[in-house]
Amino acid sequence: MNTRIRYAGALGAAGALIALTACSSDGGDESAAPADGDWSGETLNVLHYEGEDSAMGIAWDKAIEIFEEETGATVNLETTAFEDLRTSAEQLFDSGDAPDVSEYNKGNATAGQLAAIGVIQNLDDAYEEYGWSEKLSDSVATTAQYNEDGVMGSGSYYGVPNYGEFVFLYYNKDMFEEAGLAEPTTLADVEAAAAAFAEQGVTPFAESAQEYPLGQLWYQLALSKADRDFVDAYQLYTEPVDWTGEQISYATETIADWVESGYLDTAITGMTAEDAGLQFINGETPMFYSGSWWYGRFLSDITGFELGTTNWPDTTLTPGSGGNMWVVPVESQQPELARIFIDVTMRPEVQALLGESGGLPVAANTEDITDEDAQQLIGLFNEVNERDGLAFYPDWPTPDFYGDLNAVLQGLVNGDYNAAEAQAQLEEYYESYVADLR
Amino acid sequence: MTDVTQASAAPKRRKAKDDPTSRNKARPRTAAEWILMVLAVLGALVIIFPVLLLLMNAFKSPTDYANSSPLDFPEALDFTGIQTFWEQQNFPRALWNSIFISTLVAVFAVILSVLNSFAIGIGRVKGRTWIVLLFLMANLVPQEMLFDPLFQLYDDLGLLSNPWSVIITFTVIQAAFGTYLLSSLLGTFPKEILEAAAMDGATRWRSLRSVIVPVIKPTLSVLMVFFFIWTWNEFLLPLAFLNSPDSLTVPLILEQLNGERQTDTTTLVAGTLISIIPTIIFFLIFQRTLTRGITAGAVK
Repeated sequence: MNTRIRYAGALGAAGALIALTACSSDGGDESAAPADGDWSGETLNVLHYEGEDSAMGIAWDKAIEIFEEETGATVNLETTAFEDLRTSAEQLFDSGDAPDVSEYNKGNATAGQLAAIGVIQNLDDAYEEYGWSEKLSDSVATTAQYNEDGVMGSGSYYGVPNYGEFVFLYYNKDMFEEAGLAEPTTLADVEAAAAAFAEQGVTPFAESAQEYPLGQLWYQLALSKADRDFVDAYQLYTEPVDWTGEQISYATETIADWVESGYLDTAITGMTAEDAGLQFINGETPMFYSGSWWYGRFLSDITGFELGTTNWPDTTLTPGSGGNMWVVPVESQQPELARIFIDVTMRPEVQALLGESGGLPVAANTEDITDEDAQQLIGLFNEVNERDGLAFYPDWPTPDFYGDLNAVLQGLVNGDYNAAEAQAQLEEYYESYVADLR
Repeated sequence: MTDVTQASAAPKRRKAKDDPTSRNKARPRTAAEWILMVLAVLGALVIIFPVLLLLMNAFKSPTDYANSSPLDFPEALDFTGIQTFWEQQNFPRALWNSIFISTLVAVFAVILSVLNSFAIGIGRVKGRTWIVLLFLMANLVPQEMLFDPLFQLYDDLGLLSNPWSVIITFTVIQAAFGTYLLSSLLGTFPKEILEAAAMDGATRWRSLRSVIVPVIKPTLSVLMVFFFIWTWNEFLLPLAFLNSPDSLTVPLILEQLNGERQTDTTTLVAGTLISIIPTIIFFLIFQRTLTRGITAGAVK
C-alpha cells in the first residue's frame, strides 16, 4: 500500500515537470482497480469549503449519494473554510492528513502554484478517460490547465471545475420604475440612469473600493473596449499590455468621471463588498455591479423591491471564470476513486441540481432546469458563454495585484491620483512581476 | 460583565485617590471623584459595547440583519443563527478540545518554566543572559516561520490532527516566556531564605518545592491563567496542525463560518456569542487569582 502511494506521489510530481514534453505519460495504472468495480470497504476522504445549503453543497451531497451507491465505497466528507485551506493547502496536500480529493481555488497564485511544485496530481489521463474536456467550454477549461510555471491556459490539466461564476449588473426594478427608466440595455442607458439618480440625490451605484467590486467594475469597463487578445495579454502574458492604451484609459478615466459626477460616492474607499451588498439590499442604491455569488442571497434577503438582472451592456467580454475545482492531492490514498467521484459530480443530474439550487453548472442540459430564478441566471451565463466571453478577474496576473489594484483605485476615487498617474502606478506593480514571465 | 468591570475598576480608583488625602470616610465625594467615576463607567461601556453588539445581532434573522443597521434592535427574537451554528459545528467537541489543550499547556508550561528558571535564576549558571535570550527566541520568531518545519515534523511523527502537536508546541513557546519572567524574579529571590533552608538540611529539590514555589505561588497562578488564555486564542499553528473536524478548537470553528465571498453574519455573530460564554465563566472563576497576582507583583 505504502509503496503504491509513494509511487503515485512521485509520478504526480514528475508529471508536473515533464508534463509538456511527455503529455501522453500514462498515470492510470498505479492504482489497482478491482476488476468488478466493487470498492466496498474502501473510504474516500472528500474535502470542500462550500456551505451546506449552497448550490454546490447540495449538488455534491447528491453526488456523494450516487457515488456510494455505485461503487460501494464510503465517503468521509469534511468541510473547511476557504481561508483555512488557502493557508494550509501546500503543506496539507503533501501530508498524512491529505484528503483524497479536495476542492481548491483556481488561478495562477493558488492552484497554479501547487501544480508547479507538484502538490496536486496531473489529471491528463483522467481527462482522456472520462472525456471531461468535451464538457467544458474553452474559457472555463482555461483555469484547469497550468504549465510548468503554474501559469494557467496551457499545459496539463490539474483540476476539474464544477461550476462557473461571472459578474453582471443587479438593479432595483422599483427604483427604475419610479424614476421612469426602462431596463438598461445599452451603456448609454446605464449612464443616463446614473445621471437621473444622481440628480435626485441618490447615489446610483453601490460600490466598494476596499474589496473586489470596484476592481471588477474597472476591469469590465476596460473589457468593453477589448478583445480576446487583450485578455490573453493581460492574463496569460502573451504580449505586453498597453497601460496607456484605449482599453485601460477608458476604464480609469470613466471611474474618475463617475466619481466627479457623483455616480460613485467617495465614501466607497472605506466600504467592504458586504457593505455595498447591504446598501443594495436596503434599497439605498439602485445598481450594483457584482458577481453571481450574490444571486441566492439577494433572492432571499431582498424583500422591499423587485430584483432586476442584466449583463453589462455593449461588451463581448465579462469578468468571470470557471469556479473552484476538484483537485487530487499528491498524497491521496485513493486516486482512482477520486477520479470516479469527480466524474460523478460532472454528470447531468448532479449538474442540473447544482443549477436548480442557484449555482452555475458547467455541464448541465439547460432544459433540465425548471426553477425560474435559476433559469434567469443560467440564461445570463449562457449568453456570456455563447460569445466565449469569460475574461477572468482583474487581480489574477500577480499574487499581490488584488491589494495593488484596490489601493490604486482608492487613490483614484479620493483624488490622490489622476487617471494617468493611476495607470502608471498599476503598470509598475504589474510589470514588476509579469516582466520576468513574459 | 458590567458589574464585574465597574465593581473592580471603580473602588480601586477611589481608594488610590482617597487614602493619601483624607481619612474621613463619611466625607461627600469631590468633583474629581465624580469625574473619575463617570470616566470609569464610560470605560466600562466601551468595553461592554462589542458584547452588546453581539447580543443585539445574534438574535436577528438574516433578512432582518440585512435590512437594518447593526445598532438596531431585532424586529423579533430569531434563533436561526444560533441554531445553524449549533447544527453545523460540533461546538461541545471544540470546547472540550480547547479546554484540554489550554489546560495542559498552562500546567506543563508553568512546571517547565519553574524548573528552567530555578537553574537560571537561583542556580546562576554561566552565560544565563544568553540562555534567557535563547529561550526568548521561541517567542520572538514569527509563527509563520515555524509553520512549515513543525508541520513536516508532526507529519513524520503522525501527530497531525492530534491535540498533542499543539500542546507540545505551545508548552515550549509559553514556557519560553515563563522562563524569562521567572528567571528575573528568582534572580532577586532573598538568599537568606535559601541559606536558612540549606542550613536545615534541605536538598535543592526540597528547597525548590517547599520554599521557592510557595513564595512565588501567586505569580505562578497568574502565569498559568495567562498561558491558558493565550493558548485558547491561538490561531495560526492550530489551524495548520488540526485538520480533521473532530480536532478543531473554538477559534478554528468560528473561522469555518467565514465564506469565500459571503459570510453568514448572523450565524457568525451567534457563534461568537456562544463561544465567549466559557471565557466569561473562566474569568469569573479566576478573577481573584488574576487581581491577587497583579497586586502581588506590584507590591514587590
